[in-house]
Amino acid sequence: MQYNTHNSSQSAPFSGREVLRATLFGLALAAVSSTATAMSPGGDIVIEAGRIITQANGEITDGVIVIRDGRIEAIGPADEIERPWDLNVVGGPEFTAYPGFVEAHTIGGTDRANESIDVAPFLNIRDSIDPVNYFFENVVRNGITTLGVHQGNNCVIGARGMVVRPVGRTVEELMVIGEFGLKLSAAPKGGKSRATQAQALRSAFDDLKTYLEATVMDRRDNDGKASREAMYQGRELDEEESKGRAMGGIGWKVDGLELIPRGELDVKQRPLLDLVEGTYSAFFYCGAPMDVHLALEIARDNGFLHRTTLVLDNSCWKAADIIAEAGVSVVLDSNMVHTERDPYTGKEIETYVPEIFADRGVRFALSSSNSSNQSLWYQAALATGFGIDRAAALDAVTIVPAEILGLGDRVGSLAVGFDGNVVLSSGDPLSTTAWIETVVLEGEEVYDRKTDTRNQHLYEGQTQPVGTKSDSMSHNSAGNRR
Amino acid sequence: MILSLALLGSTAAVVSANEDDGTSWVVLADQVFTADGQVFEGGFVAVADGKITGVGPGGGSGGSELDVHAVTPGMIDLGVRITSDPDAVEQSTETALTMRVAHGLDLFSLAWDRELRSGVTTVLASAPDRNVIGGLSIAIKTGGEPTLEARTVKADAALRGSFGTEPSQGNQSSSGTPQSFYVRRPTTRMGVEWEFRKAFYDAVAAQRFTEREFEGSEVLQSILDGDLPLSVQAWGTQDIRTAIYLKEEFKIPNMFVDAAAEAWMEPELLVRSGIGVVLPPFSFSGRVGRDRAFFAWNTAKQLSELGVPFALSGHGTADASQRLAYQPGLAMRGGLSLEAALEAVTIAPARMIGIDDRVGSIEVGKDADLVLWSGPPFQPTSRVVGVMLDGHLILDPRETNE
Repeated sequence: MQYNTHNSSQSAPFSGREVLRATLFGLALAAVSSTATAMSPGGDIVIEAGRIITQANGEITDGVIVIRDGRIEAIGPADEIERPWDLNVVGGPEFTAYPGFVEAHTIGGTDRANESIDVAPFLNIRDSIDPVNYFFENVVRNGITTLGVHQGNNCVIGARGMVVRPVGRTVEELMVIGEFGLKLSAAPKGGKSRATQAQALRSAFDDLKTYLEATVMDRRDNDGKASREAMYQGRELDEEESKGRAMGGIGWKVDGLELIPRGELDVKQRPLLDLVEGTYSAFFYCGAPMDVHLALEIARDNGFLHRTTLVLDNSCWKAADIIAEAGVSVVLDSNMVHTERDPYTGKEIETYVPEIFADRGVRFALSSSNSSNQSLWYQAALATGFGIDRAAALDAVTIVPAEILGLGDRVGSLAVGFDGNVVLSSGDPLSTTAWIETVVLEGEEVYDRKTDTRNQHLYEGQTQPVGTKSDSMSHNSAGNRR
Repeated sequence: MILSLALLGSTAAVVSANEDDGTSWVVLADQVFTADGQVFEGGFVAVADGKITGVGPGGGSGGSELDVHAVTPGMIDLGVRITSDPDAVEQSTETALTMRVAHGLDLFSLAWDRELRSGVTTVLASAPDRNVIGGLSIAIKTGGEPTLEARTVKADAALRGSFGTEPSQGNQSSSGTPQSFYVRRPTTRMGVEWEFRKAFYDAVAAQRFTEREFEGSEVLQSILDGDLPLSVQAWGTQDIRTAIYLKEEFKIPNMFVDAAAEAWMEPELLVRSGIGVVLPPFSFSGRVGRDRAFFAWNTAKQLSELGVPFALSGHGTADASQRLAYQPGLAMRGGLSLEAALEAVTIAPARMIGIDDRVGSIEVGKDADLVLWSGPPFQPTSRVVGVMLDGHLILDPRETNE
């Protein structure tokens, strides 16, 4: 904000965020009052491009994309698409258009990524997300339009995640899916050994089972402690919540759960019950190949393997075969080259991780959040260089992460009915000489490189002599980054 | 597919050298980048007895054929920090004028092979930057028989100095005041500059009065004469200024600043002083190095337009995505032409330390150091599929292309 204010004649590259920056000092009121307009239906816009990479349906030369109410209404060659006369047009023949990138798993934009409680599935990452974090600004600049934000890896069972778009003044405005994916870790949380981590994971589900059995027994004994507790806590059970339901899912079962109105169950236990009943997704971190076995065991024993995505350290390529066998999708570490030293020969062995998973037929998403480049396009380019084909690399930053986030029919591809999330670039998405010029998010132009003063600063350094106001201010704003 | 990077141990290197001896190669490529101003679309490079024997359009004959997308000269990195081991810091003096980093090099370190297999065939190995003047650097090949004799390109290729916070890092004694000679000096930027200036004052004095000669004055003398290049680390503009002012004050003819991230800030000073520049690896956030200097994308482009001699560096990182092979592509992101980007990792650094008669371009008679690429050079979508060092095939494109 400070960097921009001296140059207020320039329009802001991030319209939404800019408003908040302008009101930062009167923060609370502005944020609250803006919530009312948060759920706008999305914008209308026409995008022209000399080349459209649709992802799912090949490429279009000289194409047009029509977006209404935030969704793609039409897409195709310019001479086949009727363009509404009343809509703004962005782009042109010199641009390449492609779907906004999707980051399936990041801790970016959170205040603090980890919780000290071992088993905390009742927490929600939304309470940690800071919409004005510069992370989101950078995300837009790099063409990422959908992100799964999750708790960090330092947990046993962590918070529930959230799928967000990177533009908005409040968490509600960022929200795409309010709750998505429960974080678990098979790698030892700080202070634990692998054995105690495994024990903590198993006992979390044992505790759930014991709790459910006790609650059912309690009801059968006609004691009804759960309902009294709900009553004392003033919880009113509406519709679904007032009904009991037999336990679903394909894992273990507790008989008689239909006796308990769902709303009477302990809120701290319900996220785990959702997992076991197969109605919720899991993101399971594995810090070493050996962790993969534990993660798969826990997911299998508790019936949520089919809804599990493994978040992998790069050493986990060694477990690629059992991952392929289990049929789960994975999110790869942003460092895609695993290096180790042979203890006997002293030779250094480098393994290109994406190639291993591609060969095994595992669905994998790339990630950028831990890399210094923070750019999925660059990660996809590197992955191509490391030996997977170009189409698979692009899929790994669009279609696959979209599917992992349960948005396979909404983002990651450009097709009729999909969200209007489009990146306009000056060239090929994987070329270092191409720059992202415009980002359209749900039909609204949320980024324009021409007015992105911070990117201008990155590109050509200070635009004013050293020691002037602009210099000291830019240092301040850098210091403000978290 | 797993790509095993075998370290060339001593025996392995000797054996492979014997096997390859007398072997001739013809590298056929869709693009041959010679780095002396020519690009052949569909050309060849012929190699025999460790030297380049032919280059041109079309095909060549007379050796085993290798067919790749592109071939460039072996890359040269003047900023590789292969010796940046804290244990390698000389504590006995701040101005180690006569020490040679060559005598402390571990030729069996994995770092050499990492550089070699990613396409860097010659480096300037310098002392770590914890001394104001760290000693004499060596221009050395990254592979081959592991002896100094076999690998040296130029023994005393430059003298290494350092400005900024690094030479004084950690020199404050725990009690705040240095009470004994066990506490290293200097402790500030100005102290660093003073140590540097003092050495050169003494050298100037020794020029006039033979009784003022001291150990190392002849090294500084050859710096002042321009026979030996002076390489100094300076990340931020403050330290780059220090380097430039000292260059001008002592009329040092042949000097370059290494890791000069903020070279974009006062380019007119660079032009005025005639100083050369080695840039650090690019960063997507702009901030680099321990002094948190700001490195703008278009720095290399600016230097190129102003005619400032400059080279790129990968700093010898173990991170596979940050190596020198990617730096020209990132410089091109800031607007640098492919031609200039190519030169900045080949012939330009070779000229800066005076080894361009042997390496740095694909010319008949030069060392057969080549990098073979799977696609357009320096793009992240391409891979270094082959490396040739003195005519020995270190990385075989016929294996890596599978």
